[in-house]
Amino acid sequence: MKQKKLYQIFAVILILGLLIGACAPAPAAEPVEEEAAPVEEAAPAEEEEAEAEEAEEAVMEPVTFQVFYPVAVDAPIAAILNGYIEDFQAEYPYITVEPVFSGGYGDVQTAIQTTIDGGGEPPALSVMLATALYDLINADYIAPLDGYIGSMEGGDAYVADFLPAFLANSYYDDQLWSIPFQRSAVVMYYNADMFADAGLEIPIDGESWAEAAQALTVQEGDATNWGLQFPSGWPYWLFQPLAIGGGQNILEDDCTVVFDDPSVIGAVNFYIDLSSKYHAMPAGVQSVWATATTDFASGMTAMIVHSSGSLTGILAQADFEVGVMPLPGKEDGTYSSVPGGGNFYILKGAPQEQQDAAWKFVEFISQPEYVADYSINTGYIANRASAYDTEVMLAYTADVPQALATRDALQYAGAELATQNLGQVRGIFHDYLQRAYNGEMSAADAMAAAQIEADAALADFCP
Amino acid sequence: MQASRKSFKPLPYILIFPTAAFVALFTAWPVLLSIYQSFFLQRMNIAKFREPAFVGWGNYVDLFTDPYFIEVIKNTFVYILGTVPISIILGFLFALLVNRKVRGIGFFRLAFFHPMVLPMVSAATIWLFFFTPDYGLFNSTLRFLGYTGPENWTGNPNLALLSVVIVAIWKNSGYYMVFYLAGLQNLPNDVYEAAALDGANGWQTLWRITFPLLRRTTLFITIVAFIDSFRTVDHIFVLTSGGPSRSSTVLLFELWLERFEYQDIGASAAITVIFVIILLAFTVTNFITSDRREA
Amino acid sequence: MDSIGIRKTLKKFGSWITNLLATFLALLWSVPVIWAIIASFRPPNDPMSRGDVWFSNSLTFENYTRAWSLAPFGQYYINTIVVVLLILAVQLITIVLAGFAFANYEFFGKGWIFFFVLLQMMIPTSALLAPNFSTIRTLGIFDTRLAIAIPYFGSAFGTFLMRQAFMSVPRDLVDAGVIDGCSWWQLILNVYLPPSIPSLIAFGLSSATWHWNEFLWPLIITISDKSRPLTAGLVRFTQLGEIGAQWSLLTAATLMVAAPLFITFLIFQRRFIQSFVHSGLK
Repeated sequence: MKQKKLYQIFAVILILGLLIGACAPAPAAEPVEEEAAPVEEAAPAEEEEAEAEEAEEAVMEPVTFQVFYPVAVDAPIAAILNGYIEDFQAEYPYITVEPVFSGGYGDVQTAIQTTIDGGGEPPALSVMLATALYDLINADYIAPLDGYIGSMEGGDAYVADFLPAFLANSYYDDQLWSIPFQRSAVVMYYNADMFADAGLEIPIDGESWAEAAQALTVQEGDATNWGLQFPSGWPYWLFQPLAIGGGQNILEDDCTVVFDDPSVIGAVNFYIDLSSKYHAMPAGVQSVWATATTDFASGMTAMIVHSSGSLTGILAQADFEVGVMPLPGKEDGTYSSVPGGGNFYILKGAPQEQQDAAWKFVEFISQPEYVADYSINTGYIANRASAYDTEVMLAYTADVPQALATRDALQYAGAELATQNLGQVRGIFHDYLQRAYNGEMSAADAMAAAQIEADAALADFCP
Repeated sequence: MQASRKSFKPLPYILIFPTAAFVALFTAWPVLLSIYQSFFLQRMNIAKFREPAFVGWGNYVDLFTDPYFIEVIKNTFVYILGTVPISIILGFLFALLVNRKVRGIGFFRLAFFHPMVLPMVSAATIWLFFFTPDYGLFNSTLRFLGYTGPENWTGNPNLALLSVVIVAIWKNSGYYMVFYLAGLQNLPNDVYEAAALDGANGWQTLWRITFPLLRRTTLFITIVAFIDSFRTVDHIFVLTSGGPSRSSTVLLFELWLERFEYQDIGASAAITVIFVIILLAFTVTNFITSDRREA
Repeated sequence: MDSIGIRKTLKKFGSWITNLLATFLALLWSVPVIWAIIASFRPPNDPMSRGDVWFSNSLTFENYTRAWSLAPFGQYYINTIVVVLLILAVQLITIVLAGFAFANYEFFGKGWIFFFVLLQMMIPTSALLAPNFSTIRTLGIFDTRLAIAIPYFGSAFGTFLMRQAFMSVPRDLVDAGVIDGCSWWQLILNVYLPPSIPSLIAFGLSSATWHWNEFLWPLIITISDKSRPLTAGLVRFTQLGEIGAQWSLLTAATLMVAAPLFITFLIFQRRFIQSFVHSGLK
């Protein structure tokens, strides 16, 4: 009967599954054993070290640590980082680095939180959002880095070499807590050919920007080719340059947010005017982050506000001259931008030897040649000034001058929104900003309400 | 074997033990932990609240007096009312359409079932493209059919919840189709023969015979659909991030926010408990009413 | 025409409409994935734009090769298959046994135990992450495929399904089996299981697809590529927050992850439903 055949199939699944399952733990058990070994070796090795002569470099006990990376661009991050790790391990043979790719920034942070809350040992090193600083400090997850900088040769020069905008989110309480790694900035991409064809000047302030966008908005049958696309589905990051360009950022420090301010309200109204007054943009909240870059590259939109990380993709797809600039500010000749992306953090819960080894890796990977290489291959902005003087970078920027433009945008950058209780504060801001964009509330009312709620959310955190 | 004897039979307990043990270890224990944690104030991202402090019902009071949370509950029920009945009806319709021994019917079944096979984040990302105003395929199809309304599905506060409902329906209807298909194939033929002899037409057969016979299947699918609609929020992350202005935030999304964004252990534990209570209440009611009908 | 002829014509017309409706709905339902398939063969440097969302002027495999190179998909495939089969194998045992116990016996505390088991269906995974993480660590199986699978070995859903299926087996059949001297496992094999195959299939399919696509838990409980499933690779295409969507790459990666399930369902359901039909069901 056919039933027998079904039973046979079930039996096969059962047996197969159980056999495979029984064998499953075996191959995966190896890394666990590998990790156990170096720790065991550490003890006898230390004794040896004490006995050994004080050579220039003492015999170092082997140490292994993990580093959690988020992947937020479509570059072969894993291959690139594995290459760096190989170079590093060649120079420091006693250190083994295990990279772990756990999704996006949110996933990495969730994984670390779960590990620590579940009683596990976190990785020694992780890349997390620069803005996560206060949450991480308050939760007591991360270790300050001043000790390492202090004992480093030329430590101060090292820190000074980083682009200042990228270090803005690394300090708290006069201590340094993170090192910039994969950083980006908000920029405006514009279709230089379209501007030339229409005889328009590159915008130099808000008004000329809006007028240019209006002039470049054309009807194509039933549809509209907008002059500007300005994503606002996750609005704070792209909005900040508007506020900064108007003279007032939306935060002063980790405990003070500035929403209910005439200048900020003016920035919100500017965004709304772009659609209601200038008809240069679709009205309301634009959830177009995903499609804005391809719309731009295909010529459907003259300008977009987006991340510098999209540059590589846009250049590959566009068949016109791509211009990159910071956002025009309110006044003539002013510009603005805001940084984004992730930094290296060393996690407190890992054993000290691992933390020390992790620092060595951070030092290694932030050398100018590596910074330049990473930037060229991934589209992130090279975060150190000296990286731009390396040969590879000079050659690259000769080909791709827009990469210099993204760096130059940073001089106009204000601090990215990072406060205590960031999740809640940001959520409140998003809520009211989007209500203003969608016309549910006036900008003034929305920002006033946002200020009240944000202050309440910050009250528990701030003295 | 009716238990007419009062003597203790260990067999049923032994048979259930493996299942119960795993559930106890990996579900019940975390739930107990959540119940316990829900009575404490603990926020990981505020140094002074890192150690749990007993607050009794404080977390629950805070939640239910928060207008945001009430809105979240409202959104959740709108979401459920939107997804559950429609996907069940569609599942039934699909099952009727594919319950035929025609060559190639397998492709039809695949056509309806395949959304289930995609990871939800991938399905939602494809729909992200479809919801793009102007040239996204959802909008261009609607315009082709004469639609002239708003097209900003994921950015319009009135449409955002609807957009995630649409994706959920698309994904789940085929799944319920399979259950109905199994149920339909299991129906006794003699009833149909008798009905055909009596001259019943297709519609009457469907209403008076098929549907009632599938009552148990429908009950089961309703429970599954209800629970499923609570448990899946991956598409909300991709499409709307709970916005704009929280208009598409549902209970599980709020739970994730509390736990991982606001790092509020107490509040997220309280939401977990609320979760369990709602779902338990629903399942129990369903059970009792259905068992009564059986008797 | 006589009334039978009219009836026949109406019937033909009716079935013609049914076919049309079925085709229309099936096409509608398939559009997203059809688009995804076409998009995955689109050259990555040819962006989507108005009026140009389907085929470009050339087809290319490079999205697939690129996606394959960005994550160790080979290893991930193996891991996913192992995990899914392992879960399925153990679940088949636990749910049949438990479902049988609930359907066939009356015993003290039956209702309570059943609701206890049902708890598992009602808890969102996010609420379980930290406690389960520490349980896994205590068991010493962190970063293994077993760790991904083990929380699911007991299945409330499956137990529920089996209980319902078993309960709809006519009582007289069961009694007949008892009278014939069947032991409990013989009852299961010969009386309860055969008519419950559709439920078993439905459960197998849903369990397999759910665990094939599960994201968060595997990502947290494993860290080495030796144990990670396909979804760990997929996040490298779906979480790209720094850039706009790379549609052709994303669709290629998605299809690579989902294709085995597509194919399995197509083959599997045909065979099973067909053999089921031919076996002379009641």
